[in-house]
Amino acid sequence: MVTLIRQELFKLMHKKSTIIGTIALLLLMTIFAVFSKLQPSFSDPKGEFIAAYGGTSWVVFFMIAACSTIVAMEFQYGTIKELLYRKYYRGEILASKWITMFIYSLYFYVLSFIFSVILKMVLFNSKFSFSDIYTNDQSVMHVTLVTYAGSFVGLWLLLSLVLLLANVFKSSAAAISVGIVGYFATSIASSLMFMLINKWEWLKWNPLNMLNLSDQLSNSTVIGTLTRLSNTELVWGNLVYTGIFLFLGYLVFRRRNV
Amino acid sequence: MDDILTVKNLNKSFGKNKVLKDVSFNVQPGKVVGLVGPNGAGKTTIMKAVLGLFDFQGGSILINGKGVSITKHQALSEVGALIEYPGIYPFLTGMQHLELFADDTSTDKADIQNVIDELNIGSYINRKAKAYSLGMKQKLGIALALLNNPKFVILDEPMNGLDPKATKELRNLILDLAKKGTTFLISSHILSELEKLVDEIVVIDNGKIIKQTSMEDLSDSNGNYLVLTTTNDTKAREILSAEGVTLEKSDKLKIKKTSDDQLAGLIQLMSSHNINIVDVQHEQNDLETSLLDLLDNDQVKE
Ligand SMILES: Nc1ncnc2c1ncn2[C@@H]1O[C@H](COP(=O)(O)OP(=O)(O)OP(=O)(O)O)[C@@H](O)[C@H]1O
Ligand SMILES: [Mg+2]
Repeated sequence: MVTLIRQELFKLMHKKSTIIGTIALLLLMTIFAVFSKLQPSFSDPKGEFIAAYGGTSWVVFFMIAACSTIVAMEFQYGTIKELLYRKYYRGEILASKWITMFIYSLYFYVLSFIFSVILKMVLFNSKFSFSDIYTNDQSVMHVTLVTYAGSFVGLWLLLSLVLLLANVFKSSAAAISVGIVGYFATSIASSLMFMLINKWEWLKWNPLNMLNLSDQLSNSTVIGTLTRLSNTELVWGNLVYTGIFLFLGYLVFRRRNV
Repeated sequence: MDDILTVKNLNKSFGKNKVLKDVSFNVQPGKVVGLVGPNGAGKTTIMKAVLGLFDFQGGSILINGKGVSITKHQALSEVGALIEYPGIYPFLTGMQHLELFADDTSTDKADIQNVIDELNIGSYINRKAKAYSLGMKQKLGIALALLNNPKFVILDEPMNGLDPKATKELRNLILDLAKKGTTFLISSHILSELEKLVDEIVVIDNGKIIKQTSMEDLSDSNGNYLVLTTTNDTKAREILSAEGVTLEKSDKLKIKKTSDDQLAGLIQLMSSHNINIVDVQHEQNDLETSLLDLLDNDQVKE
Protein backbone atom coordinates (compact mmCIF):
# COMPACT_ATOMS: atom_id res chain seq x y z
CA MET A 1 0.00 0.00 0.00
CA VAL A 2 2.81 2.39 0.92
CA THR A 3 4.49 1.41 -2.36
CA LEU A 4 1.34 2.24 -4.28
CA ILE A 5 0.97 5.65 -2.63
CA ARG A 6 4.62 6.36 -3.33
CA GLN A 7 4.05 5.47 -6.98
CA GLU A 8 1.03 7.76 -7.22
CA LEU A 9 2.91 10.64 -5.59
CA PHE A 10 5.83 10.04 -7.95
CA LYS A 11 3.52 10.37 -10.95
CA LEU A 12 1.79 13.40 -9.48
CA MET A 13 5.07 15.18 -8.84
CA HIS A 14 6.25 14.63 -12.37
CA LYS A 15 3.10 15.91 -13.99
CA LYS A 16 3.33 19.37 -15.46
CA SER A 17 -0.13 20.26 -14.18
CA THR A 18 1.09 19.97 -10.59
CA ILE A 19 3.70 22.68 -10.88
CA ILE A 20 1.39 24.77 -13.08
CA GLY A 21 -1.39 24.46 -10.50
CA THR A 22 0.92 25.56 -7.72
CA ILE A 23 2.22 28.59 -9.60
CA ALA A 24 -1.26 29.53 -10.81
CA LEU A 25 -2.61 29.38 -7.26
CA LEU A 26 0.10 31.66 -5.90
CA LEU A 27 -0.31 34.03 -8.83
CA LEU A 28 -4.10 34.24 -8.53
CA MET A 29 -3.89 34.88 -4.79
CA THR A 30 -1.29 37.60 -5.34
CA ILE A 31 -3.36 39.31 -8.02
CA PHE A 32 -6.43 39.22 -5.79
CA ALA A 33 -4.53 40.65 -2.81
CA VAL A 34 -2.87 43.40 -4.86
CA PHE A 35 -6.22 44.47 -6.34
CA SER A 36 -7.84 44.70 -2.97
CA LYS A 37 -4.86 46.72 -1.73
CA LEU A 38 -5.33 49.13 -4.64
CA GLN A 39 -9.13 49.38 -4.08
CA PRO A 40 -9.36 49.67 -0.30
CA SER A 41 -12.92 51.01 -0.36
CA PHE A 42 -14.31 47.74 -1.73
CA SER A 43 -12.22 45.40 0.31
CA ASP A 44 -12.51 43.71 3.64
CA PRO A 45 -8.92 42.77 4.56
CA LYS A 46 -9.88 40.38 7.35
CA GLY A 47 -12.51 38.60 5.28
CA GLU A 48 -10.12 38.25 2.37
CA PHE A 49 -7.46 36.76 4.58
CA ILE A 50 -10.00 34.27 5.93
CA ALA A 51 -10.90 33.32 2.34
CA ALA A 52 -7.17 32.86 1.58
CA TYR A 53 -7.40 35.65 -1.02
CA GLY A 54 -9.55 33.35 -3.13
CA GLY A 55 -7.06 30.52 -2.72
CA THR A 56 -9.39 27.91 -1.24
CA SER A 57 -11.91 28.59 -4.03
CA TRP A 58 -9.28 28.05 -6.72
CA VAL A 59 -8.14 24.88 -5.00
CA VAL A 60 -11.60 23.43 -5.72
CA PHE A 61 -10.91 23.66 -9.46
CA PHE A 62 -7.40 22.27 -9.26
CA MET A 63 -8.59 19.39 -7.12
CA ILE A 64 -11.56 18.60 -9.40
CA ALA A 65 -9.12 18.46 -12.31
CA ALA A 66 -6.64 16.31 -10.40
CA CYS A 67 -9.27 13.85 -9.13
CA SER A 68 -10.86 13.55 -12.56
CA THR A 69 -7.55 12.71 -14.16
CA ILE A 70 -6.04 10.42 -11.57
CA VAL A 71 -8.25 7.50 -12.62
CA ALA A 72 -9.21 8.52 -16.17
CA MET A 73 -5.54 9.12 -17.05
CA GLU A 74 -4.71 5.44 -16.55
CA PHE A 75 -7.39 4.41 -19.03
CA GLN A 76 -6.37 7.09 -21.49
CA TYR A 77 -2.69 6.11 -21.49
CA GLY A 78 -3.44 2.38 -21.35
CA THR A 79 -1.44 2.15 -18.14
CA ILE A 80 -4.39 0.72 -16.22
CA LYS A 81 -3.33 -2.80 -17.29
CA GLU A 82 0.14 -2.18 -15.88
CA LEU A 83 -1.35 -1.14 -12.57
CA LEU A 84 -4.00 -3.78 -12.23
CA TYR A 85 -2.22 -6.95 -13.20
CA ARG A 86 0.22 -6.67 -10.34
CA LYS A 87 -0.14 -8.41 -7.03
CA TYR A 88 -2.27 -5.70 -5.39
CA TYR A 89 -6.00 -5.73 -4.80
CA ARG A 90 -8.04 -3.32 -6.85
CA GLY A 91 -9.29 -1.72 -3.66
CA GLU A 92 -5.71 -0.96 -2.64
CA ILE A 93 -4.98 0.65 -5.98
CA LEU A 94 -8.05 2.85 -5.78
CA ALA A 95 -7.41 3.72 -2.14
CA SER A 96 -3.82 4.71 -2.96
CA LYS A 97 -5.24 7.17 -5.46
CA TRP A 98 -7.68 8.58 -2.91
CA ILE A 99 -4.97 8.98 -0.31
CA THR A 100 -2.70 10.66 -2.84
CA MET A 101 -5.48 13.13 -3.66
CA PHE A 102 -6.04 13.69 0.05
CA ILE A 103 -2.38 14.52 0.51
CA TYR A 104 -2.54 16.76 -2.54
CA SER A 105 -5.54 18.67 -1.18
CA LEU A 106 -3.80 19.09 2.18
CA TYR A 107 -0.77 20.42 0.32
CA PHE A 108 -2.93 23.03 -1.44
CA TYR A 109 -4.59 24.05 1.82
CA VAL A 110 -1.32 24.43 3.69
CA LEU A 111 0.13 26.32 0.73
CA SER A 112 -2.90 28.66 0.61
CA PHE A 113 -2.61 29.29 4.33
CA ILE A 114 1.12 29.99 4.38
CA PHE A 115 0.90 32.22 1.33
CA SER A 116 -2.08 34.10 2.80
CA VAL A 117 -0.01 34.82 5.89
CA ILE A 118 2.83 36.07 3.69
CA LEU A 119 0.51 38.27 1.62
CA LYS A 120 -1.07 39.65 4.77
CA MET A 121 2.29 40.53 6.28
CA VAL A 122 3.56 42.12 3.10
CA LEU A 123 0.44 44.02 2.03
CA PHE A 124 -1.91 44.38 4.98
CA ASN A 125 0.27 44.14 8.05
CA SER A 126 -0.90 47.46 9.46
CA LYS A 127 -4.59 46.80 8.77
CA PHE A 128 -5.30 44.09 11.36
CA SER A 129 -3.68 41.48 13.50
CA PHE A 130 -4.53 37.78 13.73
CA SER A 131 -5.83 38.13 17.25
CA ASP A 132 -8.38 40.86 16.37
CA ILE A 133 -11.98 39.87 16.99
CA TYR A 134 -13.79 39.02 13.74
CA THR A 135 -17.28 37.70 14.57
CA ASN A 136 -19.00 36.12 17.56
CA ASP A 137 -16.10 36.95 19.88
CA GLN A 138 -13.76 34.85 17.78
CA SER A 139 -10.37 35.99 16.58
CA VAL A 140 -9.46 36.28 12.90
CA MET A 141 -7.14 33.30 13.20
CA HIS A 142 -9.79 31.19 14.89
CA VAL A 143 -12.38 31.96 12.22
CA THR A 144 -9.80 31.29 9.52
CA LEU A 145 -9.03 27.82 10.81
CA VAL A 146 -12.71 26.93 11.26
CA THR A 147 -13.47 28.18 7.73
CA TYR A 148 -10.61 26.18 6.27
CA ALA A 149 -11.74 23.05 8.08
CA GLY A 150 -15.33 23.51 6.92
CA SER A 151 -14.43 24.12 3.31
CA PHE A 152 -12.01 21.19 3.37
CA VAL A 153 -14.75 18.83 4.49
CA GLY A 154 -17.07 20.27 1.82
CA LEU A 155 -14.33 19.99 -0.80
CA TRP A 156 -14.05 16.29 -0.09
CA LEU A 157 -17.75 15.74 -0.49
CA LEU A 158 -17.45 17.27 -3.93
CA LEU A 159 -14.28 15.32 -4.74
CA SER A 160 -15.80 12.02 -3.70
CA LEU A 161 -18.55 12.68 -6.25
CA VAL A 162 -15.98 13.64 -8.89
CA LEU A 163 -13.98 10.47 -8.18
CA LEU A 164 -17.15 8.44 -8.62
CA LEU A 165 -17.99 10.14 -11.93
CA ALA A 166 -14.43 10.00 -13.19
CA ASN A 167 -14.62 6.25 -12.83
CA VAL A 168 -17.22 6.16 -15.54
CA PHE A 169 -15.19 8.13 -18.08
CA LYS A 170 -12.25 6.85 -20.02
CA SER A 171 -10.69 10.18 -20.96
CA SER A 172 -9.35 12.81 -18.62
CA ALA A 173 -10.81 15.69 -20.61
CA ALA A 174 -14.36 14.36 -20.40
CA ALA A 175 -14.00 13.72 -16.68
CA ILE A 176 -12.68 17.24 -15.99
CA SER A 177 -15.44 18.89 -18.02
CA VAL A 178 -18.18 16.99 -16.26
CA GLY A 179 -16.60 17.75 -12.88
CA ILE A 180 -16.36 21.48 -13.42
CA VAL A 181 -19.69 21.90 -15.21
CA GLY A 182 -21.27 19.88 -12.42
CA TYR A 183 -19.70 22.18 -9.84
CA PHE A 184 -21.21 25.28 -11.47
CA ALA A 185 -24.53 23.56 -11.98
CA THR A 186 -24.76 22.79 -8.27
CA SER A 187 -24.10 26.37 -7.25
CA ILE A 188 -26.77 27.57 -9.66
CA ALA A 189 -29.20 24.93 -8.47
CA SER A 190 -28.72 25.81 -4.83
CA SER A 191 -31.28 28.65 -4.67
CA LEU A 192 -33.82 26.36 -6.29
CA MET A 193 -32.89 23.75 -3.74
CA PHE A 194 -33.53 26.11 -0.82
CA MET A 195 -37.01 26.68 -2.16
CA LEU A 196 -37.64 22.98 -2.39
CA ILE A 197 -36.30 22.41 1.12
CA ASN A 198 -38.73 25.02 2.33
CA LYS A 199 -41.53 22.92 0.88
CA TRP A 200 -40.35 19.42 1.72
CA GLU A 201 -38.33 19.43 4.92
CA TRP A 202 -36.71 16.00 4.38
CA LEU A 203 -34.91 17.31 1.28
CA LYS A 204 -32.51 19.07 3.63
CA TRP A 205 -30.62 15.77 3.83
CA ASN A 206 -29.68 15.84 0.14
CA PRO A 207 -25.96 15.99 -0.65
CA LEU A 208 -26.09 19.39 -2.40
CA ASN A 209 -27.31 21.01 0.79
CA MET A 210 -24.27 19.60 2.59
CA LEU A 211 -22.02 21.68 0.37
CA ASN A 212 -23.15 24.78 2.28
CA LEU A 213 -21.10 23.76 5.30
CA SER A 214 -18.34 26.33 5.02
CA ASP A 215 -20.76 29.19 4.29
CA GLN A 216 -22.79 28.27 7.32
CA LEU A 217 -19.73 28.03 9.56
CA SER A 218 -18.65 31.57 8.74
CA ASN A 219 -22.17 32.98 8.62
CA SER A 220 -24.34 30.60 10.58
CA THR A 221 -27.41 32.73 11.23
CA VAL A 222 -28.32 33.54 7.62
CA ILE A 223 -27.51 30.27 5.91
CA GLY A 224 -28.64 28.18 8.85
CA THR A 225 -32.23 29.19 8.24
CA LEU A 226 -31.88 28.06 4.63
CA THR A 227 -30.19 24.72 5.15
CA ARG A 228 -32.27 23.90 8.25
CA LEU A 229 -29.43 21.81 9.59
CA SER A 230 -27.14 22.42 12.55
CA ASN A 231 -23.40 22.68 12.03
CA THR A 232 -22.86 19.27 13.55
CA GLU A 233 -25.50 17.73 11.31
CA LEU A 234 -23.83 19.29 8.29
CA VAL A 235 -20.40 17.98 9.22
CA TRP A 236 -21.73 14.47 9.72
CA GLY A 237 -23.79 14.71 6.56
CA ASN A 238 -20.70 15.65 4.61
CA LEU A 239 -18.64 12.81 6.02
CA VAL A 240 -21.35 10.21 5.49
CA TYR A 241 -21.99 11.26 1.89
CA THR A 242 -18.24 11.35 1.16
CA GLY A 243 -18.03 7.80 2.47
CA ILE A 244 -21.00 6.69 0.38
CA PHE A 245 -19.67 8.20 -2.86
CA LEU A 246 -16.19 6.79 -2.35
CA PHE A 247 -17.68 3.37 -1.67
CA LEU A 248 -19.86 3.53 -4.80
CA GLY A 249 -16.74 4.49 -6.76
CA TYR A 250 -15.02 1.43 -5.34
CA LEU A 251 -17.90 -0.83 -6.37
CA VAL A 252 -17.69 0.47 -9.94
CA PHE A 253 -13.91 0.20 -10.09
CA ARG A 254 -13.73 -3.26 -8.53
CA ARG A 255 -15.65 -5.00 -11.31
CA ARG A 256 -14.51 -2.89 -14.20
CA ASN A 257 -13.10 -4.78 -17.18
CA VAL A 258 -9.97 -3.30 -18.66
CA MET B 1 7.25 -30.78 -12.97
CA ASP B 2 4.09 -28.89 -12.04
CA ASP B 3 2.62 -26.39 -14.45
CA ILE B 4 3.35 -22.73 -13.93
CA LEU B 5 0.06 -21.91 -15.64
CA THR B 6 -3.03 -24.06 -15.86
CA VAL B 7 -6.14 -22.79 -17.61
CA LYS B 8 -9.14 -25.06 -17.27
CA ASN B 9 -12.47 -24.73 -19.07
CA LEU B 10 -12.26 -20.99 -19.19
CA ASN B 11 -15.42 -19.32 -20.48
CA LYS B 12 -15.79 -15.63 -21.13
CA SER B 13 -18.58 -13.63 -22.72
CA PHE B 14 -18.92 -9.96 -23.51
CA GLY B 15 -22.65 -9.51 -23.21
CA LYS B 16 -24.14 -12.20 -25.41
CA ASN B 17 -20.97 -12.67 -27.40
CA LYS B 18 -19.17 -15.84 -26.29
CA VAL B 19 -15.49 -15.06 -26.76
CA LEU B 20 -13.82 -17.98 -24.96
CA LYS B 21 -15.36 -21.42 -25.05
CA ASP B 22 -14.03 -24.01 -22.62
CA VAL B 23 -10.44 -22.94 -23.11
CA SER B 24 -7.96 -25.31 -21.48
CA PHE B 25 -4.21 -25.39 -21.81
CA ASN B 26 -1.14 -25.45 -19.64
CA VAL B 27 2.34 -23.99 -19.59
CA GLN B 28 5.26 -25.79 -18.01
CA PRO B 29 8.05 -23.95 -16.23
CA GLY B 30 10.96 -22.84 -18.39
CA LYS B 31 9.03 -23.31 -21.63
CA VAL B 32 8.38 -20.70 -24.27
CA VAL B 33 4.81 -21.18 -25.42
CA GLY B 34 3.31 -19.47 -28.44
CA LEU B 35 -0.35 -18.54 -28.55
CA VAL B 36 -1.49 -18.18 -32.15
CA GLY B 37 -4.73 -17.75 -33.99
CA PRO B 38 -6.58 -15.38 -36.31
CA ASN B 39 -7.57 -11.82 -35.40
CA GLY B 40 -10.33 -11.83 -32.84
CA ALA B 41 -9.68 -15.45 -31.86
CA GLY B 42 -9.37 -14.53 -28.20
CA LYS B 43 -5.62 -14.43 -27.54
CA THR B 44 -5.59 -11.07 -25.81
CA THR B 45 -8.71 -12.01 -23.88
CA ILE B 46 -7.03 -15.16 -22.55
CA MET B 47 -3.98 -13.18 -21.48
CA LYS B 48 -6.05 -10.56 -19.74
CA ALA B 49 -8.00 -13.23 -17.91
CA VAL B 50 -4.74 -14.87 -16.80
CA LEU B 51 -3.61 -11.51 -15.44
CA GLY B 52 -6.81 -11.10 -13.43
CA LEU B 53 -8.02 -8.13 -15.45
CA PHE B 54 -11.38 -9.70 -16.34
CA ASP B 55 -13.97 -11.61 -14.50
CA PHE B 56 -14.89 -14.74 -16.38
CA GLN B 57 -18.00 -16.87 -16.43
CA GLY B 58 -16.57 -20.26 -15.71
CA GLY B 59 -13.44 -22.33 -15.34
CA SER B 60 -10.26 -21.74 -13.42
CA ILE B 61 -6.85 -20.18 -13.85
CA LEU B 62 -3.96 -21.34 -11.70
CA ILE B 63 -0.52 -19.77 -11.58
CA ASN B 64 1.91 -21.93 -9.64
CA GLY B 65 -1.10 -23.75 -8.27
CA LYS B 66 -2.68 -20.59 -6.89
CA GLY B 67 -5.99 -19.35 -8.27
CA VAL B 68 -6.18 -16.06 -10.13
CA SER B 69 -9.28 -13.93 -10.59
CA ILE B 70 -10.21 -10.29 -10.71
CA THR B 71 -10.13 -10.20 -6.90
CA LYS B 72 -7.28 -12.66 -6.34
CA HIS B 73 -3.89 -11.39 -7.40
CA GLN B 74 -1.34 -12.86 -4.98
CA ALA B 75 -0.12 -15.37 -7.56
CA LEU B 76 0.74 -12.53 -9.94
CA SER B 77 3.60 -11.21 -7.81
CA GLU B 78 6.17 -12.91 -10.05
CA VAL B 79 4.49 -12.22 -13.37
CA GLY B 80 5.46 -9.58 -15.91
CA ALA B 81 3.31 -8.66 -18.87
CA LEU B 82 2.87 -6.53 -21.94
CA ILE B 83 -0.67 -6.61 -23.29
CA GLU B 84 -1.58 -5.24 -26.74
CA TYR B 85 0.22 -1.91 -26.60
CA PRO B 86 2.51 -0.60 -23.88
CA GLY B 87 0.95 1.65 -21.26
CA ILE B 88 3.16 4.72 -21.11
CA TYR B 89 2.88 7.96 -19.16
CA PRO B 90 3.85 10.70 -21.64
CA PHE B 91 5.06 13.00 -18.87
CA LEU B 92 7.63 10.54 -17.51
CA THR B 93 10.96 9.52 -18.98
CA GLY B 94 11.71 5.89 -19.75
CA MET B 95 13.97 5.78 -16.72
CA GLN B 96 11.23 7.14 -14.47
CA HIS B 97 8.89 4.41 -15.73
CA LEU B 98 11.41 1.80 -14.70
CA GLU B 99 11.99 3.46 -11.32
CA LEU B 100 8.25 3.70 -10.79
CA PHE B 101 7.63 0.00 -11.21
CA ALA B 102 10.88 -1.35 -9.78
CA ASP B 103 10.08 -3.48 -6.76
CA ASP B 104 12.72 -3.24 -4.16
CA THR B 105 14.95 -0.26 -3.70
CA SER B 106 18.05 -2.19 -2.69
CA THR B 107 18.32 -4.33 -5.83
CA ASP B 108 16.46 -2.25 -8.36
CA LYS B 109 19.34 -0.05 -9.57
CA ALA B 110 21.26 -3.00 -10.97
CA ASP B 111 18.10 -4.64 -12.26
CA ILE B 112 17.04 -1.48 -14.11
CA GLN B 113 20.48 -1.12 -15.69
CA ASN B 114 20.35 -4.76 -16.71
CA VAL B 115 17.05 -4.41 -18.51
CA ILE B 116 18.21 -1.21 -20.22
CA ASP B 117 21.35 -2.92 -21.50
CA GLU B 118 19.58 -6.06 -22.61
CA LEU B 119 17.03 -4.16 -24.67
CA ASN B 120 19.48 -1.56 -25.86
CA ILE B 121 17.34 1.40 -24.87
CA GLY B 122 19.99 3.39 -23.04
CA SER B 123 20.34 6.08 -25.69
CA TYR B 124 16.88 7.53 -25.12
CA ILE B 125 15.95 6.28 -21.68
CA ASN B 126 16.25 9.74 -20.16
CA ARG B 127 13.98 11.41 -22.68
CA LYS B 128 10.28 12.02 -22.03
CA ALA B 129 8.19 9.12 -23.31
CA LYS B 130 5.83 11.31 -25.28
CA ALA B 131 8.65 11.86 -27.77
CA TYR B 132 9.18 8.12 -28.32
CA SER B 133 8.52 6.38 -31.61
CA LEU B 134 6.30 3.30 -31.81
CA GLY B 135 9.20 0.90 -31.53
CA MET B 136 10.81 2.84 -28.69
CA LYS B 137 7.58 2.67 -26.71
CA GLN B 138 7.30 -1.02 -27.49
CA LYS B 139 10.79 -1.69 -26.16
CA LEU B 140 10.06 0.27 -23.01
CA GLY B 141 6.89 -1.80 -22.59
CA ILE B 142 8.94 -5.00 -22.89
CA ALA B 143 11.48 -3.61 -20.43
CA LEU B 144 8.68 -3.01 -17.93
CA ALA B 145 7.43 -6.57 -18.43
CA LEU B 146 10.91 -7.96 -17.77
CA LEU B 147 11.64 -5.74 -14.78
CA ASN B 148 11.92 -7.30 -11.29
CA ASN B 149 13.04 -10.67 -12.69
CA PRO B 150 9.61 -12.24 -13.17
CA LYS B 151 9.38 -16.04 -13.30
CA PHE B 152 6.56 -15.93 -15.83
CA VAL B 153 6.29 -13.37 -18.63
CA ILE B 154 3.26 -12.79 -20.83
CA LEU B 155 3.89 -10.89 -24.06
CA ASP B 156 1.10 -9.98 -26.46
CA GLU B 157 2.57 -9.32 -29.91
CA PRO B 158 5.93 -8.16 -28.56
CA MET B 159 7.52 -7.73 -32.01
CA ASN B 160 4.99 -5.06 -32.92
CA GLY B 161 6.83 -2.12 -34.45
CA LEU B 162 10.33 -3.50 -33.83
CA ASP B 163 12.95 -3.24 -36.57
CA PRO B 164 14.73 -6.42 -37.72
CA LYS B 165 17.72 -5.82 -35.48
CA ALA B 166 15.58 -5.20 -32.42
CA THR B 167 13.47 -8.25 -33.27
CA LYS B 168 16.57 -10.40 -33.34
CA GLU B 169 17.85 -8.93 -30.07
CA LEU B 170 14.50 -9.57 -28.44
CA ARG B 171 14.52 -13.15 -29.68
CA ASN B 172 17.97 -13.76 -28.26
CA LEU B 173 16.99 -12.14 -24.99
CA ILE B 174 13.89 -14.31 -24.63
CA LEU B 175 15.82 -17.48 -25.47
CA ASP B 176 18.50 -16.45 -23.01
CA LEU B 177 16.05 -15.83 -20.19
CA ALA B 178 14.21 -19.05 -21.01
CA LYS B 179 17.47 -20.94 -20.65
CA LYS B 180 17.83 -19.42 -17.19
CA GLY B 181 14.38 -20.68 -16.29
CA THR B 182 11.94 -17.89 -17.14
CA THR B 183 8.67 -19.07 -18.63
CA PHE B 184 7.07 -17.21 -21.53
CA LEU B 185 3.62 -17.09 -23.04
CA ILE B 186 3.85 -15.15 -26.30
CA SER B 187 1.25 -14.32 -28.90
CA SER B 188 2.33 -13.15 -32.32
CA HIS B 189 1.22 -13.04 -35.91
CA ILE B 190 4.81 -13.03 -37.13
CA LEU B 191 4.97 -16.80 -37.36
CA SER B 192 8.38 -16.96 -38.98
CA GLU B 193 9.71 -15.21 -35.88
CA LEU B 194 7.66 -17.18 -33.39
CA GLU B 195 8.90 -20.38 -34.97
CA LYS B 196 12.43 -19.54 -33.90
CA LEU B 197 11.36 -18.93 -30.33
CA VAL B 198 8.80 -21.32 -29.04
CA ASP B 199 8.99 -24.85 -27.67
CA GLU B 200 5.27 -25.33 -27.72
CA ILE B 201 2.35 -23.87 -29.52
CA VAL B 202 -1.28 -23.36 -28.55
CA VAL B 203 -3.60 -22.73 -31.47
CA ILE B 204 -6.86 -20.94 -30.85
CA ASP B 205 -9.62 -20.22 -33.30
CA ASN B 206 -12.93 -18.60 -32.60
CA GLY B 207 -12.51 -18.86 -28.85
CA LYS B 208 -11.65 -22.55 -28.84
CA ILE B 209 -8.29 -24.22 -28.41
CA ILE B 210 -7.84 -26.45 -31.42
CA LYS B 211 -4.39 -27.75 -30.66
CA GLN B 212 -1.61 -27.70 -28.11
CA THR B 213 1.54 -29.33 -29.33
CA SER B 214 5.29 -29.14 -29.24
CA MET B 215 7.01 -27.62 -32.26
CA GLU B 216 8.67 -30.91 -33.25
CA ASP B 217 5.39 -32.78 -33.19
CA LEU B 218 3.74 -30.12 -35.25
CA SER B 219 6.29 -30.23 -38.04
CA ASP B 220 6.51 -34.04 -37.90
CA SER B 221 2.80 -34.63 -37.96
CA ASN B 222 1.90 -32.47 -40.89
CA GLY B 223 5.05 -30.94 -42.16
CA ASN B 224 7.13 -33.33 -44.33
CA TYR B 225 6.63 -33.77 -48.03
CA LEU B 226 8.34 -35.40 -50.98
CA VAL B 227 8.34 -33.41 -54.19
CA LEU B 228 9.09 -35.52 -57.26
CA THR B 229 10.23 -34.43 -60.68
CA THR B 230 9.85 -37.13 -63.34
CA THR B 231 10.32 -37.54 -67.06
CA ASN B 232 6.54 -37.49 -67.50
CA ASP B 233 4.75 -35.69 -64.71
CA THR B 234 1.28 -35.93 -66.29
CA LYS B 235 1.40 -39.67 -66.63
CA ALA B 236 2.98 -40.07 -63.21
CA ARG B 237 0.13 -38.12 -61.69
CA GLU B 238 -2.39 -40.51 -63.27
CA ILE B 239 -0.54 -43.58 -62.09
CA LEU B 240 -0.23 -42.27 -58.55
CA SER B 241 -3.91 -41.42 -58.40
CA ALA B 242 -4.79 -44.87 -59.72
CA GLU B 243 -2.63 -46.41 -56.96
CA GLY B 244 -4.53 -44.38 -54.35
CA VAL B 245 -1.68 -42.10 -53.38
CA THR B 246 -3.00 -38.71 -52.29
CA LEU B 247 -1.35 -35.81 -53.99
CA GLU B 248 -1.22 -32.41 -52.35
CA LYS B 249 -2.79 -29.48 -54.13
CA SER B 250 0.17 -28.21 -56.11
CA ASP B 251 1.35 -28.05 -59.72
CA LYS B 252 4.19 -30.30 -58.70
CA LEU B 253 4.01 -33.92 -57.62
CA LYS B 254 3.84 -33.34 -53.88
CA ILE B 255 3.24 -36.28 -51.60
CA LYS B 256 2.93 -36.24 -47.86
CA LYS B 257 5.72 -38.23 -46.26
CA THR B 258 4.39 -41.06 -44.15
CA SER B 259 7.33 -43.42 -43.72
CA ASP B 260 11.01 -43.72 -44.51
CA ASP B 261 10.71 -46.51 -47.12
CA GLN B 262 7.98 -44.65 -48.94
CA LEU B 263 10.43 -43.26 -51.48
CA ALA B 264 11.72 -46.69 -52.50
CA GLY B 265 8.16 -47.79 -53.24
CA LEU B 266 7.56 -44.71 -55.34
CA ILE B 267 10.70 -45.29 -57.39
CA GLN B 268 9.68 -48.88 -58.02
CA LEU B 269 6.19 -47.85 -59.01
CA MET B 270 7.45 -45.26 -61.46
CA SER B 271 10.10 -47.43 -63.07
CA SER B 272 7.55 -50.22 -63.56
CA HIS B 273 5.74 -47.72 -65.80
CA ASN B 274 8.94 -46.62 -67.51
CA ILE B 275 9.04 -43.22 -65.88
CA ASN B 276 12.26 -42.00 -64.39
CA ILE B 277 12.42 -39.91 -61.31
CA VAL B 278 14.96 -37.19 -62.04
CA ASP B 279 14.75 -35.24 -58.79
CA VAL B 280 13.41 -35.66 -55.27
CA GLN B 281 13.09 -32.79 -52.87
CA HIS B 282 12.20 -32.90 -49.23
CA GLU B 283 9.92 -30.07 -48.25
CA GLN B 284 9.14 -29.17 -44.70
CA ASN B 285 6.16 -27.04 -43.88
CA ASP B 286 6.90 -23.91 -41.96
CA LEU B 287 4.73 -22.89 -39.07
CA GLU B 288 2.65 -20.69 -41.31
CA THR B 289 1.61 -23.51 -43.61
CA SER B 290 1.01 -25.93 -40.75
CA LEU B 291 -1.08 -23.36 -38.98
CA LEU B 292 -3.15 -22.46 -42.01
CA ASP B 293 -3.74 -26.18 -42.61
CA LEU B 294 -4.85 -26.62 -39.02
CA LEU B 295 -7.24 -23.70 -39.20
CA ASP B 296 -8.62 -24.93 -42.54
CA ASN B 297 -9.28 -28.37 -41.09
CA ASP B 298 -10.94 -26.79 -38.09
CA GLN B 299 -13.33 -24.93 -40.29
CA VAL B 300 -14.10 -28.07 -42.27
CA LYS B 301 -15.04 -29.87 -39.06
CA GLU B 302 -17.58 -27.28 -38.08
N1 LIG C 1 -13.90 -5.18 -24.20
C1 LIG C 1 -14.53 -5.94 -25.10
N2 LIG C 1 -15.87 -5.84 -25.27
C2 LIG C 1 -16.52 -6.61 -26.16
N3 LIG C 1 -15.93 -7.52 -26.94
C3 LIG C 1 -14.60 -7.68 -26.84
C4 LIG C 1 -13.84 -6.88 -25.92
N4 LIG C 1 -12.55 -7.26 -26.03
C5 LIG C 1 -12.51 -8.21 -26.98
N5 LIG C 1 -13.74 -8.47 -27.47
C6 LIG C 1 -14.08 -9.49 -28.48
O1 LIG C 1 -13.47 -10.68 -28.11
C7 LIG C 1 -12.98 -11.37 -29.24
C8 LIG C 1 -11.54 -11.74 -29.00
O2 LIG C 1 -10.76 -10.58 -28.92
P1 LIG C 1 -9.21 -10.61 -28.62
O3 LIG C 1 -8.76 -9.22 -28.46
O4 LIG C 1 -8.95 -11.56 -27.52
O5 LIG C 1 -8.64 -11.21 -29.98
P2 LIG C 1 -7.13 -11.51 -30.37
O6 LIG C 1 -7.03 -12.96 -30.56
O7 LIG C 1 -6.21 -10.89 -29.40
O8 LIG C 1 -7.05 -10.78 -31.78
P3 LIG C 1 -5.84 -9.98 -32.46
O9 LIG C 1 -5.01 -10.98 -33.14
O10 LIG C 1 -6.53 -9.10 -33.43
O11 LIG C 1 -5.13 -9.21 -31.39
C9 LIG C 1 -13.21 -10.46 -30.43
O12 LIG C 1 -14.33 -10.97 -31.13
C10 LIG C 1 -13.53 -9.14 -29.85
O13 LIG C 1 -14.50 -8.50 -30.63
MG1 LIG D 1 -4.85 -9.28 -29.48
